[in-house]
Amino acid sequence: MRAMRLHPAALTLVIIGAVIMMIPLLWVLGLSFKSNAELLADTSRVFSPPYTLENYLNIFGNGEVFRWIINSLIVSLGMTTGVLVISSLAGYAFARLDFPFRNLIFIIVLLGLAVPEQAVIIARHQMFSAVEMHNTYFALIIPGMATPFGVFLMTQYFKAIPKDIDEAALLDGASRFTVFWKVLLPLTIPAQATLGIFVFLTAWNDYWWPLISGTNKEMFTLTVGIASTQQNFAQTEGLGFLMSQAVFAALPILIVYLIFQKYIIQAVAGAAGR
Amino acid sequence: MSGVRLSRISKRFGDVTVIDQVSLDIEAGEFVVFLGPSGCGKSTILRMIAGLETVDDGEIHIGERRVDHLKPGERGVAMVFQNYALYPHMTVRDNLAFGLKNVGTDKQVISKRIDEAAQSLEITALLDRRPGQLSGGQRQRVAIARAIVKEPALFLFDEPLSNLDAALRGRTRLELAQLHQRLGATMVFVTHDQVEAMTLADRIVVLNECKIEQIGSPMEIYRRPATQFVATFVGSPRINLLPVTVNAGTDDKAAIALPNGEQLLTAIPMAKLPEGESFTVGIRPEHARIAEDGVGEVTGTAEVVERLGERCLIYLDLGNGHKLTAEDRGGSTVKAGDTCTVKVKSSRAHLFDSTGKGWHAEGE
Repeated sequence: MRAMRLHPAALTLVIIGAVIMMIPLLWVLGLSFKSNAELLADTSRVFSPPYTLENYLNIFGNGEVFRWIINSLIVSLGMTTGVLVISSLAGYAFARLDFPFRNLIFIIVLLGLAVPEQAVIIARHQMFSAVEMHNTYFALIIPGMATPFGVFLMTQYFKAIPKDIDEAALLDGASRFTVFWKVLLPLTIPAQATLGIFVFLTAWNDYWWPLISGTNKEMFTLTVGIASTQQNFAQTEGLGFLMSQAVFAALPILIVYLIFQKYIIQAVAGAAGR
Repeated sequence: MSGVRLSRISKRFGDVTVIDQVSLDIEAGEFVVFLGPSGCGKSTILRMIAGLETVDDGEIHIGERRVDHLKPGERGVAMVFQNYALYPHMTVRDNLAFGLKNVGTDKQVISKRIDEAAQSLEITALLDRRPGQLSGGQRQRVAIARAIVKEPALFLFDEPLSNLDAALRGRTRLELAQLHQRLGATMVFVTHDQVEAMTLADRIVVLNECKIEQIGSPMEIYRRPATQFVATFVGSPRINLLPVTVNAGTDDKAAIALPNGEQLLTAIPMAKLPEGESFTVGIRPEHARIAEDGVGEVTGTAEVVERLGERCLIYLDLGNGHKLTAEDRGGSTVKAGDTCTVKVKSSRAHLFDSTGKGWHAEGE
């Protein structure tokens, strides 16, 4: 695919937009390298020395932050794995298998897209409360595994693979499971990568459900944990430490982005193209 | 190498019967081509043999083994698909090995068979590439190699040449014929292209509207079409069809009166023709030649002249609502708009009754 040449005016606009979006991020990064004492007096000299690693060293000295990072990793990876497994199997079934009420069930699954989380959050809370499962990884992970979008995406992706390939594999003596596992699933890797990245990012950044379900400090995810360390309205104390936590929390996301940026760009471009 | 026996097989999709009690015996080592227009059911029969479609009625035997209840992978068949159906994420070598690994073939045997097949199809240099890195012709070779390595009892080809360009199609056709000679394997080939059918087949099965119209050798199909459909479907340019009245001629042969009133004596025995039927005469364009001396049976105005090099095709309007395609020599001087006289070789004419059944001269 040839790279599109932007008009100079458009390029200027894009650069201005990028700078505007980067300023708060650079601001956070700058604050994270400033001492809390200095920030208490003045936050305007972000981009001038002196800088310090004190805030980051404090993170390493704070066991809670690590605990929250581990929690976030477990929840995000667990949810991502679950969504990929469920969406792949459901997508294969909806795309390839004949079973009673297939279309009706598919429509019911898709209707889930129209239900906002806010509408079900109380019922969900009561459900987990009734079975006394709050403050468990299970409670943090399971609700996010119901993703109509994932099922829809994988169904469409499986449908786009020519059936000839399944049939060739069946003629090659493969069982249904072998066809799924060795032939079709590897062909859906781009879709799985896209879905996996979005689920991981969503789970990592999620705040609301972990805030409701993980009330025990030991079960905080990073987002909830960082929020809990805010001490007052203006955050006049410990601002540098808070910013360093935010930067630290964003690192896994940055790593995920750097590794999978090809798929993220493809996914965003694909979504825009449709 | 095994023969195939289809015994009154039927296939229904809901209330629609797409294959209706088809029976056919294919000899071991035979190259049989299913020929017919789109939707005639030829691919469905192939898929029923492969096990990709269930058989609602009837039986399928490959060799002595009844297979219609077996899974596709248990039937001992290999299939080459129209779109190649190679596994895109595997190298060519893995594509070839996949089927053999599934049935637990020894690694050394797999390697040996892959090398042999790759050598015979000249794809050795491609073994470590993926299908996406291959041209259409190369993919087709890989698809054929994937079938060969399995050493199946039966090869099935589902319009495998239709995605190739004209030049490559011709070359691959030749290679398939050579492959069949070399392997001596039983092959069933589906196509809607009569040239492929005529050039490859030991026997052609012509299908129309879910039923077999005729089974025969290519020349038998061409020279003695069982039905009007077969006569029109096989042969390019299309056979000329004109309504005629039939009378007894000399030597107990049928005489026909063309729409212009001209009488022609055919070589078709009058006694065999059903009485009280209306007939259509079928005349191949090569049996309707432009009369250079102006002496002939049919006169018309040339609408289009197609110059094919060694011969010309002249499309004539007979002026009575009928058209006729005639042949002339390569250096024909006929131009569009010219009035031409056509000499008909009536001894090679065919008659079709109102049911479409064909009647031919004896010993043709």
